[in-house]
Amino acid sequence: QNKTQSHSRGEYNVYSTFQSHEPEFDYLKSLEIEEKINKIRWLPQKNAAQFLLSTNDKTIKLWKISERDKRPEGYNLKEEDGRYRDPTTVTTLRVPVFRPMDLMVEASPRRIFANAHTYHINSISINSDYETYLSADDLRINLWHLEITDRSFNIVDIKPANMEELTEVITAAEFHPNSCSTFVYSSSKGTIRLCDMRASALCDRHSKLFEEPEDPSNRSFFSEIISSISDVKFSHSGRYMMTRDYLSVKIWDLNMENRPVETYQVHEYLRSKLCSLYENDCIFDKFECCWNGSDRQVEFLIVMTGSYNNFFRMFDRNTKRDITLEASRENNKPRTVLKPRKVCASGKRKKDEISVDSLDFNKKILHTAWHPKENIIAVATTNNLYIFQDKMN
Amino acid sequence: MLGKGGKRKFDEHEDGLEGKVVSPTDGPSKVSYTLQRQTIFNISLMKLYNHRPLTEPSLQKTVLINNMLRRIQEELKQEGSLRPMFVAASQPADPLSDNFREAQPAFSHLASAPLLPADLVSTMPLESCLTPASLLEDDTFCTSPAVQHDDGAAKPPPPALQAVKDSFSSALDEIEELCPAPTSAEAVAAEPAAGDPKAQPGEPDVHNKPEGLPEGRTAEPKLMDPLPGNFEITASTGFLTDLTLDDILFADIDTSMYDFDPCTSAAGAASKMAPVSADELLKTLAPYSSQPVTPNQPFKMDLTELDHIMEVLVGS
Repeated sequence: QNKTQSHSRGEYNVYSTFQSHEPEFDYLKSLEIEEKINKIRWLPQKNAAQFLLSTNDKTIKLWKISERDKRPEGYNLKEEDGRYRDPTTVTTLRVPVFRPMDLMVEASPRRIFANAHTYHINSISINSDYETYLSADDLRINLWHLEITDRSFNIVDIKPANMEELTEVITAAEFHPNSCSTFVYSSSKGTIRLCDMRASALCDRHSKLFEEPEDPSNRSFFSEIISSISDVKFSHSGRYMMTRDYLSVKIWDLNMENRPVETYQVHEYLRSKLCSLYENDCIFDKFECCWNGSDRQVEFLIVMTGSYNNFFRMFDRNTKRDITLEASRENNKPRTVLKPRKVCASGKRKKDEISVDSLDFNKKILHTAWHPKENIIAVATTNNLYIFQDKMN
Repeated sequence: MLGKGGKRKFDEHEDGLEGKVVSPTDGPSKVSYTLQRQTIFNISLMKLYNHRPLTEPSLQKTVLINNMLRRIQEELKQEGSLRPMFVAASQPADPLSDNFREAQPAFSHLASAPLLPADLVSTMPLESCLTPASLLEDDTFCTSPAVQHDDGAAKPPPPALQAVKDSFSSALDEIEELCPAPTSAEAVAAEPAAGDPKAQPGEPDVHNKPEGLPEGRTAEPKLMDPLPGNFEITASTGFLTDLTLDDILFADIDTSMYDFDPCTSAAGAASKMAPVSADELLKTLAPYSSQPVTPNQPFKMDLTELDHIMEVLVGS
């Protein structure tokens, strides 16, 4: 479901709302399967309709979203309200014509891909061949064909023979944007593995392993937990990929495995609060990250991710500048330029700065998205969706 | 952070705790390191066993918390191995010593109160006394005979005690030796600990775990089952029943830590955890007790009865 706020020159209204998944009950385990959607991915558009994949913990669905703004009128055998006419009363014939009507948006489920995941699905990614896609849960990655719902192929399986030896899980996976046999998956230990499906049917052996050695000066009890990668996104060229862990965003060059080329601190001031954040579970929050969109073949220059207190952050890779903005109704009227925010980590708080202790950790921005072509962004807070636009437009 | 007023104090305390990275080898800051480590250990235990989800718990979260517990146990074990004293052994066949071993945590439950202030002074062997892991590891052998496997994940084998009963009395002596006169700070900590051990929070309620594992510990042997069906059913919770689960069941000696645990908010939360370890204890002590034993029955045995039972066990 979507609710929109108009916060920019354009006005936005809800386009369509539909129920994608329903809660289910797993009788075998006596546990409920939530209807909560974990990921949505759009398919590339081929005709007038839009297609998207949405997934909850267990089931992936392909939805077709189509518009209807005309309807035929003037049937010979049917009244306008649909009732059938008695053929004996028909005296003249006419040709039905299309007349405009109020826009109606219809969403219909086209495929249901079920029963392939024992663990909770955390990622789906559509391949550049536009025919297959992958779905990843905590321990396995499966490859599907969009047309075939009763079969999927397991391409990664990291489940140990003895579950008690389990120390690492898969946290995200994505296909390479250009190479249809290449994909990456990230882990709870902060590693990214790049795999080539041509190498073997089961890609348990990676082609590349991306991992940054731990900084000994920052070592703590929580080092492993905060290194867990919550999101991985390729740049459009496929030369770089971006990962999000609890405190930072890292840009990796696919040609260099031993460390990222850039690291951006999202909220370093939380490093001294990790114990509290562990206790209240915030340390397990999964933030996403995104590249800016561009219709030019230019390497992507701005990355964006969310934080707490309804803050979100943008990093400019060229200038190395960063900015913190807030998505809230109280502080921003529509059509005003967003004011940069600053968090005061310690010491004397300047005017307009917000101290770390007054941050609201219930107001978290986990999902942000950038329009693929224009400088329009969508930012999701707990109960609202904000759409912001570049003031230059 | 969530409730600004109250939590602010907590944060300040936590900030004092966390602050910079504290190396375990620093002198006076070793105390705060140990304190922090124990706090995190307790929080991790509570997280794993205290909630009762209607949906499957997140495997990622469970794995991360489990890794945290293992890491802390590793550390404690390594520190404890410097001077093996109270570290228990592999299983004896003798049922009497089985009961003895299970009663041992009960004993430590009493002894750990005075031990706690000693821990603040922080000598290595004391920490090993208080370590659940070393004792518990061997408890798993005697109470879950099917679980004979190596615990996986780089755990050094526990050093063996030669004669259990001998070491028990000598351990008693050592504890009394090591227990120093409490300082003022320690007395404050010791007071609530010693004053009301009955109210001390015990281990998390294992029987309240998700229904996927209703048999409790008896489901552990199923984990060894290579059949994929069983694995799938117990998958997300089953693998927890390695060391950790058994640690919980016998970790009475850990209970005193809960008292000054700054993270445990109310006694309400704590008291919820009390019944199960007591249940296990009750079950094993059933032959010696006149009370009927039922699971989930609140732990009603009082201190004098416990003393009596201990005498019976030790005396025979």
